[in-house]
Amino acid sequence: MSVHSAARGDITRRRIGAAALIAGVVLLALAVTHGGTASLALTALWRGSLGTWYALTSATLVRAVPLMLTGTAVALAFRGGVFNIGAEGQLLAGAACAAAVALGLPSGGAFTVVAALGAGAVGGAAWAGIAAVLRTRFGVLEVISTIMLNYVALHAVSWLVRGPLQEPTHAYPQTLTITDATRLWRIPGAGRLHAGLLIALLLALAAGWALRHTAAGFRLIATGDNRAAAASAGLVDVAATTTHAFLASGALAGLAGAVEVLGVTFALYEDISPGYGYTAIAVALLAGLDPWKVVASAVLFAALEAGAGAMQRDAGIPSTVVTAVEAMLILAVVAAQAMRRRTAAT
Amino acid sequence: MLLALAALACGRGDAPAGADATPAAGKPFRVALLTPGPISDQSWNGGAYAGLLRIRDSLGATVSHIQTKTPAEFEEQFRQYGAQGYDLVFGHGFEFQDAAKRVAGDFPKTIYVITSATTTADNVAGISFGFSDASYLAGMIAGTMTKSNILGTIGGTELPPVKESFAAFARGAHAVNPRVTIVASFIGNWDDVSAGKEQALAQIGRGADVIFQNADAAGLGVFQAARETKKALVIGSNSNQNAIAPEVTIGSVAIDLPHAFLTVAREVHDKHFKARVITLGASTDVVTLVLNPAFASRIPAPLMHTVDSLRAEMKAGRFSESTGH
Repeated sequence: MSVHSAARGDITRRRIGAAALIAGVVLLALAVTHGGTASLALTALWRGSLGTWYALTSATLVRAVPLMLTGTAVALAFRGGVFNIGAEGQLLAGAACAAAVALGLPSGGAFTVVAALGAGAVGGAAWAGIAAVLRTRFGVLEVISTIMLNYVALHAVSWLVRGPLQEPTHAYPQTLTITDATRLWRIPGAGRLHAGLLIALLLALAAGWALRHTAAGFRLIATGDNRAAAASAGLVDVAATTTHAFLASGALAGLAGAVEVLGVTFALYEDISPGYGYTAIAVALLAGLDPWKVVASAVLFAALEAGAGAMQRDAGIPSTVVTAVEAMLILAVVAAQAMRRRTAAT
Repeated sequence: MLLALAALACGRGDAPAGADATPAAGKPFRVALLTPGPISDQSWNGGAYAGLLRIRDSLGATVSHIQTKTPAEFEEQFRQYGAQGYDLVFGHGFEFQDAAKRVAGDFPKTIYVITSATTTADNVAGISFGFSDASYLAGMIAGTMTKSNILGTIGGTELPPVKESFAAFARGAHAVNPRVTIVASFIGNWDDVSAGKEQALAQIGRGADVIFQNADAAGLGVFQAARETKKALVIGSNSNQNAIAPEVTIGSVAIDLPHAFLTVAREVHDKHFKARVITLGASTDVVTLVLNPAFASRIPAPLMHTVDSLRAEMKAGRFSESTGH
């Protein structure tokens, strides 16, 4: 694997270049159809994502936090040969558990915050654990089970905010707001940006380090690269490693949900995630499944999302067009991946 | 806070943020709208966007719109507009309340108005649409027109304004026809057309012959069911839906969103706005029962007469259905 890493790095650069190029072309083509608004649109994209300190911290990095965590979750699972596409459901499970604990222990303080974060991680891991049991005991493909569990989680949250966790007036489908003392502290001078960024960075770095330098990381990669070889070499308990990959991945995604509740929304709602768990797949793939690169990839996707908002707000570009641009970008990434595979094959 | 001020200064410094042309004299009046869904829905969101455009045309305002989905986005966009120095920002739906309350304190010069909401703060106001009067009239017509004495109500999700509207509908129906029973169901969402149709077919199967629906896009399925079975009549909600299936539609309890938006914007523009819960209903012509002209001939004349006189009373503020006099 390491033999190819230099070539792989080269191709990664080419791939990102290709994606950026296509993105630029699409944006320009689009702007032409809007007659003379090209510079306005691109200015809005820049100023709304990375071009101002306010946009960078309050819009881009706030979105990047859940993408880093879910992106790392997906990268870890995929490296271990576990196609967990259920990060969205695990995020929701984590958000629900964190909200329940934060509201149940309203005294606040560090203990409550840590307990709520822990509950989020456990909730996410448990949700992924269902898929792990289904796979290891019954051979159910996780591609199917995890995506189905996403819908179960979505409707479970919908039920919770209309049932046991609903705010006491029973008027609105949401929970009470958590107290100030139960929120993640904000990073001074950085607007809405909260300590979740440090948690996400730390975990992405730790995951990348673990993959490179620990025995557990080696077992994960060996299992992912070739299960049969890893098993017959006799050094790796493939079933256990698979389960661990599920649980670690679910815990990270669940933590993303907890961080979102404690740092951004302060209550559980139905529409708490704009699809972070799905975007995470693109984030992880663009990063070549390396948690360290997930950090940059997450910031890129977050910047696109934030910039898309600004294009809509300040340049009057309709949201449907913005969504189409984002989809084009993801397509560009997938196309570049296919090109990479073809290059690697020849 | 310091950062917010910096961003504010920044936003003011380079003006050409809005896409629309800025009027000549002085600082332009700037108005923004956040919708929870696409403005192409010809209903809740489309009406709000039409309101924004009317503010632009009537008051010469610079306008901006953004579609948002998650609570995190609500807050982010409220802050962005506040930081850019917008005068008035609409959040279109009760779900925007919490975010508005959190943001408003940081941007005291911006007024945040939330529809279907009842919260207020120094610069936060709610618009509460009074569905009761128009729904009561719809109930009177339904209670008279029914042959089976069974009426249906179909809602998107169980939200307070929807429940209020259905309750008033039931009171109106009972006022003219004490034998009426009502079958009520909620679809669970606002966009599943086939689920809306299924609910309507189930109600028709139980004998309902007039269905009052308030389910936006999912409600289109109710019209389909009525049209295909020809066994039920429909009353629409939120916007004038009479043209969707004219042969089976009695009328619509319609909100004149552009009128409502302009009313509020004019207050802000003329600087006599006071933060409060603004109730707009039948007496202000914002929520009205719009009868379907293609169907009017089938409504008995004495009923029309009663409805018309009651409507005039409501408009004059002399009758409120909730008190009954």
